[in-house]
Amino acid sequence: MEHFVQTLVDAVSVGSLYALTALGIGLIFGVMRLINFAHGELITFAAYALLALFGLPTPVMLFGAIVVAVALALITERAAFRPLRNADPTTLLISSFAVSFFLQKLLILVVGSRLKGLDFLPTLGRQIAIMGVRLQLLQITTILVSAVLLVALTWFLRSTRLGLQMRAAAEDFRMARVLGVRANRVIAVAFALSGILAAAVSCLIVVQTGVVQPRMGLQLVVIAFVGTVIGGLGSLTGAALGGFLVGAASILLQALLPPDLRVFREAFVFVAVALILLFRPQGLIPARGLKERI
Amino acid sequence: MAPADVTKAHDYGILPRLWPLVALLAIVALIALSASFAPIVLQRRATQGLINLVAVVGLYVFVGNSGVLSFGNVAFMAVGAYVSALLTMKPTAKAVFLPDLPGLIAHAEWPTLAGGLAGGSAAAVVAFLVGLPLMRLSGVSASIATFAVLVVAYIVLGNWTAVTGGQNSLMGLPAYVDLWTALGWALAAIVIAFVYQETRSALQLRASREDEAAAQAAGVNVVRHRLIAFVISALLSGIAGVLLAHFLGIVRVENFYLDLTFLIVAMLIIGGRGSLTGAVAGAVVIAVLTELLRQIEIGFQIGQTTIGAPPGVGDVILALIMLLIILFRPNGLAGGRELTWPFGRG
Amino acid sequence: MTKRVPLLCVSGLVVRYGAVTAVRGVDLAIGEGEIVSIVGPNGAGKTSLVSAVAGMVALTAGSVAFAGEPLAGIALEDVVSQGIALVPEGRHIFASLTVTENLLLGATVRGDADGVRADLDRSFDMFPILGARRRQPAGQLSGGEQQQLAIARALISRPRLLMLDEPSLGLAPAVVDRVYVLLRTVREGGVTILLIEQNAERVFGLADHVHVMSGGEFGLSGTAAEIKADRRFDAAYFGVHMHETVGDR
Repeated sequence: MEHFVQTLVDAVSVGSLYALTALGIGLIFGVMRLINFAHGELITFAAYALLALFGLPTPVMLFGAIVVAVALALITERAAFRPLRNADPTTLLISSFAVSFFLQKLLILVVGSRLKGLDFLPTLGRQIAIMGVRLQLLQITTILVSAVLLVALTWFLRSTRLGLQMRAAAEDFRMARVLGVRANRVIAVAFALSGILAAAVSCLIVVQTGVVQPRMGLQLVVIAFVGTVIGGLGSLTGAALGGFLVGAASILLQALLPPDLRVFREAFVFVAVALILLFRPQGLIPARGLKERI
Repeated sequence: MAPADVTKAHDYGILPRLWPLVALLAIVALIALSASFAPIVLQRRATQGLINLVAVVGLYVFVGNSGVLSFGNVAFMAVGAYVSALLTMKPTAKAVFLPDLPGLIAHAEWPTLAGGLAGGSAAAVVAFLVGLPLMRLSGVSASIATFAVLVVAYIVLGNWTAVTGGQNSLMGLPAYVDLWTALGWALAAIVIAFVYQETRSALQLRASREDEAAAQAAGVNVVRHRLIAFVISALLSGIAGVLLAHFLGIVRVENFYLDLTFLIVAMLIIGGRGSLTGAVAGAVVIAVLTELLRQIEIGFQIGQTTIGAPPGVGDVILALIMLLIILFRPNGLAGGRELTWPFGRG
Repeated sequence: MTKRVPLLCVSGLVVRYGAVTAVRGVDLAIGEGEIVSIVGPNGAGKTSLVSAVAGMVALTAGSVAFAGEPLAGIALEDVVSQGIALVPEGRHIFASLTVTENLLLGATVRGDADGVRADLDRSFDMFPILGARRRQPAGQLSGGEQQQLAIARALISRPRLLMLDEPSLGLAPAVVDRVYVLLRTVREGGVTILLIEQNAERVFGLADHVHVMSGGEFGLSGTAAEIKADRRFDAAYFGVHMHETVGDR
């Protein structure tokens, strides 16, 4: 019984991480129809920021990670994506792929490709007992942080003027501009928010794995991408749900599969995704007003 | 992106129409020929370049005609490489690296050509199976799905230790790929790609590239034509994987993942993803560029000191060039056009 | 008779998309408080004309002046703060947002939150059906209701010029009648109206001036009464210049 609850909590925790990652990707896709491969680099660079600031008080480290991720997001938007704003989705995809690799190779050039250990917030590795079940404090933290961010994001989108403009822009960008919504502002805010989400994911991952390496972000977003596609491109709820399902399924499969098949669990998840897409190519929760261009 | 401008040449006899093919074959053959007089190190680089050319042409067959970017072709290269390796490795070598291999494969020792063709075919079969659901997705969703194919292949091949050796390298492959073998396959790939893009299926697929809804309304079966392109693309990619494996003499799953994907995609984008000329141009340009960058990384000796760039600069520069191309010349160097008949009309 | 500066003044407007010329040199003047209508068949260039004025497409040649000031080079987002509101063809309401949210978006350029709230209530008075459905997603509204929403949304920015591109498209005749009655009320409120329609008959009862557009040019222009009576109307509507257009390809 305890094992069951532990697996469940683990699944929710990992699912939340992927949901946050997928949300970051979905936010950008909503306003720009851009699948941002470089989102992975936001996560990676935020982790290296933690590494660079190691030794300073934790709030400073966290702040540094957020600043780096947001700054990088805004720089990539301004330099690489704004000029391509009206390009077709494939060109946008290629550019984000190029940006992602450029950043990754640049990082490797500067810090090398080997992984580095980082003992960040080790106290979160403690186990605590909740209702008789032993759980990792980190898992609880992950779930709480994800929930808080989700609620905050939802509040922002539903209750603020800027959030309303973003939702409108995501549905019909041109009409929003006709009404006076500033394109640059809305897109910059989307990128900044995605940077914050990336920083949060980065911190949680670093605490969990204790390791920083140049490929860490890319590995995460690969799975998150698949989550956004299955959840329904263009819908934030879909992205979060898809990311969550893919992450949680990965953990559940790890528990349910026989030992020698466990290493293939991600492959199983992807195959399941392919099957779902076969019957529902628009995803689980498709976006309203999504143009066929996608 | 303008489709290959063939219909105009149509009115002027068959040679202008075949010109892009003839010119490309000649150029590639010439490059290989000149490399054959160079020192052995350069020859090996040229061979690698020709193998990459096969891979880029393979990618082009799908991307150029369908307009959908595929990240999964390196997975097909991996399939081709592993299948060919398993069939052509000496049973004694297989016993060392893959003791748990099923008997039939463990004792097989196929001739290299048969093994190679089997590798390509296996890739094509995988592409067919994977493509059945995938080709129904449109545009960006399909691209992400091909990315998932790459990851799945990496996971499966990297963990199926009994059959592939998992994360370990398979060594002792017959290393039969020299400059001329690679050239032969490079020329064959160009011919196959050219012949394919002249077919009705490819023409209809290119029609759907610009406006999928309109093409479907006109009765074009986009899914089927995409699948055909995908399978042929995988065949060529599989062959490229075979060539790579039997050139290096080893197969490592790590060699068939993101870095190679980036290289092949970069070649196609820089050369121009809308035409066969672009694919070939990309391969040639990047081969020359990587050679230059390698030299810069090795450095130049001035007296006692060696001035060179830190390792890894080459990758950064390649990524930067790809970014600049997509920003300022999104159709690549070839601009979506094929080489045109230079001798005027009539 | 003193000549007042027209609210909207378009001279020599040319709009070209690549090889296709959609608008070939149009002159248009709209006085404050007028209802001017441009009628013409599909492909006449009406939407291109309006889009160019609204800043949605770039004009190839010519000039647009609003309230005496040139509109050249103004970003799309800034047009509405100049005082021009567009109800585009197909309405383009945000289906996933509520009626209220749609209206609030119309007030994007306004800074006075209290004034906006007051105007929201006024919108609900003017368009009772919107008031009744204020919390519903706009996608659930009927065609006619969405048209009202689109107009209300445009009005809440307090424009001086309201441009409507084919508001009657896809609506039942009775619904169109109601919309046109609404437009009269809007004009009485001091808003100048530019109305684009395919169905010419309808606008005769509403518009002061009518221009008949075909093949990218104005064929006939005059008061509604003049155009209605003019025997050359059919030819102008269906394109005296049709053969010229074909030859241009």
